Amino acid sequence: MIDSKGIEALIRATLPDAEVRVVDLTGTMDHYDIRVRSKAFAGKNRLDQHRMVYAALEEARRDGRIHALQLKTEVLNV
Amino acid sequence: MSDQLRDEIDREVAANTILIYGKGTKDAPRCGFTLETIEFFNRFGYPFEVIDVLENVPKREALSSLTNWPTLPKVFIGGQFYGDTDILGPMDEEGELEPLLRSTFETKGIKPAINLA
Repeated sequence: MIDSKGIEALIRATLPDAEVRVVDLTGTMDHYDIRVRSKAFAGKNRLDQHRMVYAALEEARRDGRIHALQLKTEVLNV
Repeated sequence: MSDQLRDEIDREVAANTILIYGKGTKDAPRCGFTLETIEFFNRFGYPFEVIDVLENVPKREALSSLTNWPTLPKVFIGGQFYGDTDILGPMDEEGELEPLLRSTFETKGIKPAINLA
């Protein structure tokens, strides 16, 4: 389990400017819908944007704090 | 990653225009996202295949390293990797997916089973 603040912190650790919106899909604090906006996504295709977020959350996914997640990414315009 | 595993994946990806590696089968999906991906592609009327890798850890690891993508399901279209519905959904919303499917299948002489017009 992890709370939305924990998820935001993990994402901001690698994407400091990120705007993060987290929705707990099941109330069990391990199935999340996460939307991330960041300037760092500029010029990257959607797959690579999602790879960046997965990398930021890798540890929490591997140790089971996050069981399943849905991602949406958007470029934060400067 | 063993050559045998790599060849197996290459053969499967080449043999199926739309291929979903997931948890469970088309008739018995065992994960919400795999089911969601099946329902997603049912709307387009093109044939697609689901290969169950739930219990096959070496193959799952091979697929993750080949695609640099940590989760299942994993979708391939025309031999190219497209992630999952988190990628395909926005592509569909922006009108990119249907033309891609139409042109990919046109080269194989296959029309969608349902009339989308």
